Amino acid sequence: MNDNDILIRLRHLMKQSSQAKVDWEAVRTDSTIASLGFDSLTILDLVYDIQQEFRVEFEAEKLAGVRTVGDLIAFLKSCMGGAPGEKSAPRC
Amino acid sequence: MNESARRVVVTGTGLITPLGSDEETVWTAMMQKRCGIRRLTLVNPSDYKTPIGGEVETDAINAILRQVGVEPVGDRTVDMALAAAGAALRAAGLSESSKVMAPPPIPVIFGTGIGASHSLYHAFESFFQKGVRGLRPTSVPRCMANAISAQISITFRLTGANYVIVSACTSSTTAAGVAFRMIRDGYAECVLCGGADAVFDPFVYAGWNNLGVMSKNPDPLSACRPFDSRRDGCVLGEGAGALVIESLHHAMARGARIRGEILGYGESSDASHITSPSVEGQALAIRDAMSSAGIVPEQIGFINAHGTATRANDECESKSILAALGPAAASIPAASNKSFFGHLLGASGVVESIVTLIGLERGIMPPNLNLDDPDPSCNLCFVRGEATKVKSPVAMKNSFGFGGNNAVLILRAWEETSERQRHSY
Repeated sequence: MNDNDILIRLRHLMKQSSQAKVDWEAVRTDSTIASLGFDSLTILDLVYDIQQEFRVEFEAEKLAGVRTVGDLIAFLKSCMGGAPGEKSAPRC
Repeated sequence: MNESARRVVVTGTGLITPLGSDEETVWTAMMQKRCGIRRLTLVNPSDYKTPIGGEVETDAINAILRQVGVEPVGDRTVDMALAAAGAALRAAGLSESSKVMAPPPIPVIFGTGIGASHSLYHAFESFFQKGVRGLRPTSVPRCMANAISAQISITFRLTGANYVIVSACTSSTTAAGVAFRMIRDGYAECVLCGGADAVFDPFVYAGWNNLGVMSKNPDPLSACRPFDSRRDGCVLGEGAGALVIESLHHAMARGARIRGEILGYGESSDASHITSPSVEGQALAIRDAMSSAGIVPEQIGFINAHGTATRANDECESKSILAALGPAAASIPAASNKSFFGHLLGASGVVESIVTLIGLERGIMPPNLNLDDPDPSCNLCFVRGEATKVKSPVAMKNSFGFGGNNAVLILRAWEETSERQRHSY
């Protein structure tokens, strides 16, 4: 899965989770997460939706260093590189 | 009635029903005797003994939400409630888009039988499939029954109290009754009240399917037949309704268009059985409503019955009306709206009250559909075949629910309407 595929899927998930009025098609890899209108509650839903969509598991605290959508894509790619043949969701 | 009590009027309505989502569409359909019940699409109809019901078009919910400038929250019950609430506020002249312009704190009192049913279904589904980690972190605020009133309060910035009344099929009638009392007794000037229920998720509908109270007639147009001798159970529907009600003083001061008046509200509990209704309990609520309104039976010009089309309800309700109203009941036209859109559960009372208010304004009431052969044990003066003129500008709206809950509203056409139509009563 390349960066653009992940970006497209993230846009859809973010639109679903955020209750803010944002032009989601304009979201790029350099867009900051803070500019997308998530609050302490809706960010939890986004984390959940990402875990379900990409079949990965991680604690929300792991996102502390994630500032932009590009950072999030890089983080997810690192999570998805779990051990080959692993049956349960990769944890990172 | 307390002599110092204040008059309570209706200044805005909002409707989301299987027959349409604006007053004119719904009323026209009813006058044309069109039925909103059809084969189900939201659940797999072949899984259920009753494969028909009154579904609301999802596009219609979203269209109303767009009109009132509100984003859907993703739960069908809450979204229908938001749409009805937004429409009622707009009709009352209290909002442009989602910004409410009224200065006093406005409470939000809504009723529901089941609550955020679709969110609950998805939460259970995820939990049983994936365990603890499969449950969405926001499941609590999505699934709590008061998500309905809370989301309305937040969306429209309504700062009065908000809460949800859960009393089965009386829920929204009770919500309107509580709101009426808040204004009458001076605790609020203006209240947004209503109800919503969305029964067509696979779990909730299965519960109703297995309860044994629904019609097994698969024909959508003839299955729901309140008070008819061949009735064999209710047909469910989904929807929402909302009323903006105000003190007369508040409505007049801001030049609001008054649609009707709530004269009184009565309630009681059967205190006998969880599902079987009681004549004594229902009659007590009807008498309580008349006392609250300060009227006698002879003043009632129309009865909008609960009329679910179950064998037990319709017979019991007929007897309770006769017990409470006495000989006057024999000449008061009575009908149930459920043959048009099914039983909307917690939303039924407010939706049917809105139909009643429209009818009082126009001096005419829709008939019962499918009342071909009135059951002799339901000995009331039913509206059959065609719409009928109301006898006087006062109507009674009954709602009765599992749990032995009984709630009755007394409604009256607004004075100017009554005056204009006086010659026809």
